[in-house]
Amino acid sequence: MFRLPLGEWVDSAVDWLQTHLVWLFDAISSIVSGMFDGIAAVLSAPAPLLFAGIVAVIAWWLRGLPAALLTFVGFALIDSVELWDEAMDTLTLVLVATLVTLLIAVPLGIWASRSRTVSAVVRPVLDFMQTMPAMVYLIPGVIFFGVGVVPGIIATIIFALPPGVRMTELGIRQVDGELVEAAEAFGTTSRNTLLRVQLPLALPTIMAGINQVIMLGLSMVVIAGMVGGGGLGGSVYRAIGNVDVGLGFEAGISIVILAMYLDRMTGALGTVVSPLGRRAVAKTRAMAEGWKIWTYRPQPVVAVAAIVALALVAGGMSVFGGSKADTAGKSAQVGDGKKISIGYIPWDEGIASTFLWKEMLEQRGFEVDVKQYEAGALYTGMANGQIDFQTDSWLPVTHASYWEKYQDRLEDMGSWYAPTSLELAVPAYMKDITSMEDLKGRASEFKGRIVGIEPSAGEMGLLKDKLLPGYGLDEEYKLIDGSTPSMLAELKRAYAKKEPIVVPLWSPHWAYNDYDLTKLKDPKGLWGEGDGIHTLARKGFSQENPEVAQWLKSFKMTEEQLTSLEAEIQKAGSGKEQQAVRTWLKDNSGVVDTWAPPRRTPGP
Amino acid sequence: MSRLQAEHLYKVFGRRPDEAVRKLESGADRDELRAEGTTAAVIDASFTVEPGQIFVVMGLSGSGKSTLLRMLNGLLDPTAGRVLFDGQDLTALSPRELRHVRSTKISMVFQHFALFPHRSVLENAAYGLEVQGVSREEREVRAAEALRLTGLEGWEKSWPDELSGGMQQRVGLARALATDADLLLMDESFSALDPLIRRDMQDQLLELQKRLKKTIVFITHDLNEAMRLGDRIAVMRDGKIVQLGSAEDILVTPANDYVASFTQDVDRSRVLTAGAIMAEPHTVMGGKAADGTELRTPQDVLAAAPAAVAESTPIIDLFTPCSQSPDPVAVTDAKGKLVGVVPSSRLLAVLGEPMTPAEAPRDAEPAAAAGADVKKVAGV
Repeated sequence: MFRLPLGEWVDSAVDWLQTHLVWLFDAISSIVSGMFDGIAAVLSAPAPLLFAGIVAVIAWWLRGLPAALLTFVGFALIDSVELWDEAMDTLTLVLVATLVTLLIAVPLGIWASRSRTVSAVVRPVLDFMQTMPAMVYLIPGVIFFGVGVVPGIIATIIFALPPGVRMTELGIRQVDGELVEAAEAFGTTSRNTLLRVQLPLALPTIMAGINQVIMLGLSMVVIAGMVGGGGLGGSVYRAIGNVDVGLGFEAGISIVILAMYLDRMTGALGTVVSPLGRRAVAKTRAMAEGWKIWTYRPQPVVAVAAIVALALVAGGMSVFGGSKADTAGKSAQVGDGKKISIGYIPWDEGIASTFLWKEMLEQRGFEVDVKQYEAGALYTGMANGQIDFQTDSWLPVTHASYWEKYQDRLEDMGSWYAPTSLELAVPAYMKDITSMEDLKGRASEFKGRIVGIEPSAGEMGLLKDKLLPGYGLDEEYKLIDGSTPSMLAELKRAYAKKEPIVVPLWSPHWAYNDYDLTKLKDPKGLWGEGDGIHTLARKGFSQENPEVAQWLKSFKMTEEQLTSLEAEIQKAGSGKEQQAVRTWLKDNSGVVDTWAPPRRTPGP
Repeated sequence: MSRLQAEHLYKVFGRRPDEAVRKLESGADRDELRAEGTTAAVIDASFTVEPGQIFVVMGLSGSGKSTLLRMLNGLLDPTAGRVLFDGQDLTALSPRELRHVRSTKISMVFQHFALFPHRSVLENAAYGLEVQGVSREEREVRAAEALRLTGLEGWEKSWPDELSGGMQQRVGLARALATDADLLLMDESFSALDPLIRRDMQDQLLELQKRLKKTIVFITHDLNEAMRLGDRIAVMRDGKIVQLGSAEDILVTPANDYVASFTQDVDRSRVLTAGAIMAEPHTVMGGKAADGTELRTPQDVLAAAPAAVAESTPIIDLFTPCSQSPDPVAVTDAKGKLVGVVPSSRLLAVLGEPMTPAEAPRDAEPAAAAGADVKKVAGV
């Protein structure tokens, strides 16, 4: 069968777009991020509880007192699990995506409803947008727009656009043909027919579409989190990566609260803005009995006044008490408030070294932003210059494919830990297994499984292509794709029950500290030479930050230092990485001055 | 000056409509075209509607009557032919001019009312004026006046869905009247209503028409309705007008079996008029009345008759007088002069089998008058 080089065409199309339409992508990027920053600034200005009050008043106006109380409790809950900033980022992301989506979807839906041709052309495109897995266009999105909120918003728009267009088209087409004919028979222009008859009558359906757009947008925030979109999606993604069930639930429930609030409010807004809905509400309200207070709703004027009052109070508060305590006395530092962003993949040595550098750089006066990424997004983001550096690249073997692809746009800051080794490991209680060769014929004990890590990890590629065939294990064992944290969770579970398990591991790793494990020997030497763990930076980083570059280049850790730091972080639990680093630094005093020496010349 | 003229109107849906029209003109059949995938909805329709006349187009569904109506105000573009209104060729107008004609000169009333559910009754009635750009105060005054005409005073603030079907259609009628358009197109406007309400609406339309003298084209599939309302009636079948004439023409001399089969169900006693079935006065002169009086002069006949009616009186009104006396009912003209008599035997005879043209009484001319007097019937 002839191999259609579809993928290559797409590749070259993406390359072409990247080189020829940079200006366009930059423009879109700056518009979208401008909108995001603007809305984010407004939303995060008021104190959380005041903001909760404002949204509660909106709920009161739209749905009555019980809804208002639930809203307040819900938003207070988000604040009390310390996910407020993330929730506001997510809300902003959804609002911006919804806004842009509607600007595109409603006119497109109107056009499609008025022309069969447009409708026929638009439909397959919408199907494509809705069913193409988001990850497929997310990485090109990162190439065009860089990591951060923009590709997340773009992906959300692409995903949420179809229901907006479809519902608008459907709503307009559903309007009784006789009514449209009546409008025409009285000499109405087609523009006025649209504005005075079709749109008002289609409004409930269009509002249902808007509701769908918002809901789909919220469901995309987790995927946006994978490319640095931050917000609750980022928290969820981090929680998944670290098998942190608690954080996952907290972030998840916050998303649910936002989703329910937005869903109910847009639903109610639909009836308020549509003339027919307004009448229906008035009718049912007139019939309702019982306590007036439950059904009373403030007039829009009252609601607006209350919101303005709350907003003013909010503004006042932030004026008087808002500004952050200045990190005074550090002005003489090297960093001088300069911003540095570090990206990482949730591998243990990566987390350890990343938070170590975050702490050290902050001590030297830098403002450090640390974000977790999916591996492809991390390298692409760095190549595009949005991420300054990352500390966890295994070269020359394991991460060779990334290095080959992006080496022109990256700087190698050298290896800070060597040699590493890759291996398969089994618990020590499996006494008779010490070498790869011993695995042969024992598949039934391990249920035929090797519990693997991320399929994008280099080690997994080596296992699949070299090790398993090399030792004749590829028939017997199935290598299961997963993630490092899920592999470690499975190891922990099996270890506690003393069940047989075999996993890919690497040294250094804290698991060797915590569990008694056997590294399986590799008599054929198929794993190859041990990699060094390299720090990679974006091109131009060392020119702009010569001192930091110098520090990174001369940075070295011993196995004892690294495993003890990893163990400390493991002990503290996720979300407290930096505190763990601080504790570790207290026990290892002096290392900061060695790795990141302070400026010699004393300040004024 | 004739107000509305349709000249050789064709409407063909499908591919290559012009070619289809040529084929139809050279005698091709509707079925032949259907085999080619084109549908001839209206074939060679020509008629004239005089000012102040109610012109009814009658036909079953699929006969092309609604398509024909929509060509009259340009909602559908004729494939061939012309529509002249006030001497102006509507088919030659630009879209903008056509919209202007629609908003000022032609109104339309729809089968399912087509009221805007998001507008109040008053706003609905004022819609046409709103499109014309009339100021709010003026259009509200004029819309309220139109609502008053249709008997909906006091309902201005209501919403369409709060009204019964008949009242909703009164709003539809008010909306059409509010613009003061001369031509009213009514598309099966009363078909969706209950029979009793439908009669009320028909009466009200006739009542209004007496005062307003609009030119009305009324579409219906109900021959009774057509006969009640129509000054002239066009019967359509398969896109063609098969007969054009007054109610009595159609009833008494159906053009073909198709039309005749329609007329079977018609209540003849309400359509036929005294003038249409009356006998010459001399047929009774020289005889004797029941009480023995000799009938020598028209005055004698009038004196003996149980009632004197106008020529336009539907014969249903003659039964009661005929049952009270063996003497014939007198038919008089506007000045009270005796023009004919209706003996009870004759009354019974016309209600029997449809008469062959040879037996038919002299052709009734005053069809227009028939419409004007139906009010009397409704009172029964």
